[in-house]
Amino acid sequence: MDPIFQPFRDDPHYPLDRYEAAADLMLLNMGPQHPSTHGVFRLKLVLDGEIIVKAVPYMGYLHRGVEKMVEGLTFAQMTPIFNKHDYVSPMTNEQAYAVAVETALGIEVPRRARYIRTILAEIQRIASHLLWLSTFTLDMGGVIGGGAAMMMYNFREREDIFDLFEAVTGSRFHYNTHCIGGQRHDLPEGWVQRVRAFLDRQERAFDEYLRLIRNDIFDLRTKGVGVMSADLALGLGITGPNLRASGVDFDMRRDAPFHAYDEVEVRVAVAQGCDAYARYEVRMAEMRESVRILRLLLDQLPEGPICGSKPVKMANAVRVPDGRGYTAIEGPRGEIGTWLIGGGEDKGAKPFRLKIRPPSLHAMAAMSYLLPGHTVSDVVVVLGSLDPIMGEVDR
Amino acid sequence: MDATLREALAARFPAVDLDQDVLLVPAADHYPLAALLKEQGYTLYVTVAASHHPGPEGDAFEVATVLRRPVRGAPSVAWRVVLGADPHLQSLYPLFPGADLQEREQLDLVGVRFDGHPNPVRLMLSEDWVGHPLRKDYAPNMPHAPWR
Amino acid sequence: MILDNPYLHALIVGLPLLAVALTVAGFGVFYERRFAAWIQLRRGPVWVGPQGIFQIVADALKMFQKEDLVPASADQAIFKLASWFPMFLALSLLAVVPMGAVEAEDGSWTAAWAVSSLDVGILWPLALGGLMVFPLWAAGWSSNNKYSLLSGMRMVAQGISYEIPMVLTAMVPVILAGSLSLDDIVTYQMNHGWFAVWPPGPGLVAFVIFFLTSLAEADRVPFDIPEAESEIVGGITIEYSGIRMGLFVLTEYAHTFVAAALTATLFLGGPHMPFSVGPAWMGVVWLLGKTLFLFFVIYWIRWTWLRYRADQLMDLAWRWLVPVSLGLVMLSAVWVQLMEGK
Repeated sequence: MDPIFQPFRDDPHYPLDRYEAAADLMLLNMGPQHPSTHGVFRLKLVLDGEIIVKAVPYMGYLHRGVEKMVEGLTFAQMTPIFNKHDYVSPMTNEQAYAVAVETALGIEVPRRARYIRTILAEIQRIASHLLWLSTFTLDMGGVIGGGAAMMMYNFREREDIFDLFEAVTGSRFHYNTHCIGGQRHDLPEGWVQRVRAFLDRQERAFDEYLRLIRNDIFDLRTKGVGVMSADLALGLGITGPNLRASGVDFDMRRDAPFHAYDEVEVRVAVAQGCDAYARYEVRMAEMRESVRILRLLLDQLPEGPICGSKPVKMANAVRVPDGRGYTAIEGPRGEIGTWLIGGGEDKGAKPFRLKIRPPSLHAMAAMSYLLPGHTVSDVVVVLGSLDPIMGEVDR
Repeated sequence: MDATLREALAARFPAVDLDQDVLLVPAADHYPLAALLKEQGYTLYVTVAASHHPGPEGDAFEVATVLRRPVRGAPSVAWRVVLGADPHLQSLYPLFPGADLQEREQLDLVGVRFDGHPNPVRLMLSEDWVGHPLRKDYAPNMPHAPWR
Repeated sequence: MILDNPYLHALIVGLPLLAVALTVAGFGVFYERRFAAWIQLRRGPVWVGPQGIFQIVADALKMFQKEDLVPASADQAIFKLASWFPMFLALSLLAVVPMGAVEAEDGSWTAAWAVSSLDVGILWPLALGGLMVFPLWAAGWSSNNKYSLLSGMRMVAQGISYEIPMVLTAMVPVILAGSLSLDDIVTYQMNHGWFAVWPPGPGLVAFVIFFLTSLAEADRVPFDIPEAESEIVGGITIEYSGIRMGLFVLTEYAHTFVAAALTATLFLGGPHMPFSVGPAWMGVVWLLGKTLFLFFVIYWIRWTWLRYRADQLMDLAWRWLVPVSLGLVMLSAVWVQLMEGK
C-alpha cells in the first residue's frame, strides 16, 4: 500500500488538504440506500480515482430510541424490545438483558435453565455466523453470482435452526423466551434428538460451503484486506471474532464464564492474520466449535426446574433498587454489555438508565481506520468481514 | 481488582474509595485514571454511559466508563464521574480511539460535552435535532425541527 | 441464383438469424434463472406458462409498461442513444458466423451460410466488440451518477485490457488456417480437426483464454466488475429504467450468446461434428448446440464464483493473459512452418 495513505489510516481526522495537492478527489456517498451496507448506513468516501483516501461512517438511520423507550417499561415488558435491536441474534441479546437484571438482583438461575440458555446461545451463534457468511460472500460475489448461491445454502441450515427455535419458543425470530430468573419455555419432547440430527447435517454442510467458495478468487479478495492490528482493535473496543482475528486470545465464554460455560471446555479460535481472511477463519472455526460444544451440552443436560424458586410472573414484581453496574456476555459479534442504573420510576419497577453496549458500533468505528488505501471494491469486503448489524449499531 | 492495580490506584488516587464496585472519581482524575489503567493492561475500551440525574439542587450528570483486560478472568474496572449542571469532561479519545463514536453518542443522547474530542457532533440524531432525548426532562412529544 | 444478390442474401439469412439470436437471448434469461435456481436449491420462475417458460414475455411486458425515466441532470441525447447501441453492436457480431456445412463430392467440407462472408471476417467481430466500449462508457458518463461513472471507467479499462489477449488468441486460428475469413477458418477445421483439439497445446490454451476474455468483454462473473451490484450498485444501468434497462439486460444475454457462438466457431469447428453432420441445415443445430453448451458453462461459472477486484483483473490480463497469448501466436506460427515444411 502507498505510504501516502498511512497518516489517514493512523488518524481518521487527519486533514484532507494535506493529501497530494494535485489530486482530483471525488466524494462518493455509499448508502444510506446501497445493497451492501447491511442495513441502513452511510459511508462518505473521498476517492482518488478508485482508491479511498478517507472514509467517514454516518449512522443513526435505524435509531429507534430503545434506551429511551425502556425507561418507561417494566423489567418484564422489556425482553421483546431486547431481541429486536440485533435482529440476527435475538436470543443472545435477550440473555444479555436477563443476565444484567439477575446480576443486579442477585437471582440464582437453576442449572437446567443455564444449560438451556447455553444451548440456545450456541445455536444462535451458528445461525448468526451463517448469515454473516452469506452476506460476506454476497458482497464479494454479488446478488447475481456465486455469493447468492452461498446464501441459499446457508439459509437451508438457518431454516432448520428457526424450526428448532420455533419448537421451543413458538416463535421463529423474536423469541421472548427468557424471563428474569430462568426460562419461560422448557425443551419439548424429542427436541434434543432433533438438535443432534441438525448438528450432523450442519457438520456436513460446512464442507459443502468450503467446496463452494474456497478458491483463488476468495483468497485474493480477502487476504491482506482490512488489516487491523491488535492494539487498534483493543483501543476501539472491538470484541468477539473480530478481536480474535487480530490475534488476541480473549473470549468471555472461557475467560469470564456465564450461563453454563464453566461446565464445558471452550476452545477459543484465534487467528493471527488480522485481515478479512483471518476474520473468516475465526468465524468458520467458531461454528465448528459451537457444534462440538452443543454435543457436550446435550450430553450433560441436567433435569430440574427451569425457573427460580420465585418465578417472576407479575409485570411489576421485579424491582431493581438504586445502584449501578455493568454486566456483559459474549454474543456472536462480541461483548453485549448492559450498563444498568436501578431505582427508576414506580419504586424501581422501571430502569433509571439502561445502556446497551453494542459490539457492532465499536466495529463500525474501525471502518475509517481500515479503508484508506483500499479500493471501492474492498469496502464491501471490509464491512462484510466486520459483520455489523445496523439495528444494533443505531438501536 | 488485583493487588498490584489496587496499590497503584491507592498511590495515585488516595481520595478514591477502592472498595466500591463502581469507583466514584472526581472529574479531574477521569483522564489520569484511564491512562493509568491503560498502562496496567486494561487496554480493551468497553463502554461509556452518561446519565441525567435531576434533583432538588439542580441537574447532575454521571458519566461511567468501563475498561477491561483481555486476559483470563476478564477483570474490568468501572468508574463514574459526577458532573454539575453544565456537564463536560475530558475526552478519552487520545487513549482509546473507540471513544470517538461512543462519546459522540453520549453527547448526542445525553448532552455531555467531551473536551478535546476531535469531532463533537451528533451521532444518531440529525444535526438540527433540538434537545437530548435521554435527559429526564425531555418530553418525547416535544416539538422538533420538521422533516425536510 | 437469388442468393447471389448480397442484400437479398443478408435479408434472407440475416432476419431469421436475428430472430433466433434475440429469442435465444430472451429465453437465455429464463434458462439462466431456472439453471441458477437449480444450483441454489430454489425453484426459480415456474408460474408463467408451462414450467414458467413465458416468464420472459411477462418481464418484457412489464419493462415496456414502465415509465421511461430520464434523470433531469443527465445528458439527455447521449443517455437515450446509449441504451440502443450496445444491442446493435452485439447482434451485428453474428453477421460473419458461418452456420452451415456443405459436403463436396470428394468428401471435403465447406462452410456456408454466413450472413456476409467477409474476406477479413475475423476483424469484424473483434472491431465491433472493441466499439462496444463506447456506448457503455457514454451511458456511464451521461447518467451523471458517480457510481455509473466509476462503472464506465472500469468498463473502459477492462474492455481495452482484455481486447489485447482476445485479438492475440484470435490470431491463433487465423495463423493455423492461413486466412482471416471465418468461412476459411471453419472449413479448415472441418477438414483438419478442431483448433481446440488439434494442434495439441496452443489451440486448447488459446481456446481457454479466448473464452475467458470473451467473458470479460461480455461482463460476466468473475469479470463483471463494471456492474458489480454489491459495490457500485449495477454500474452503468443504475439510472436506466423501463425498456432501456431491459435493453441493457437483453444486450448482456445477446452479447454472451454471441461470444459463445464466436468461440464455438473459432475453436470448436462451428457447424461441424466429427461424425457426419447430415444435411446442411443440421450444421445450424450443431452450432446452436455448441453455443448453448458454452452458454451453460458461462452461467455455471457465474452462479458459483466470486468476482475479482478491478486491479486484480488488470493484473490477470497484463501479467498472464497477454504474455501467454503472445507466446501462443509464436507457437502456432512455428507449428505452421514445421507442418508446411513436411
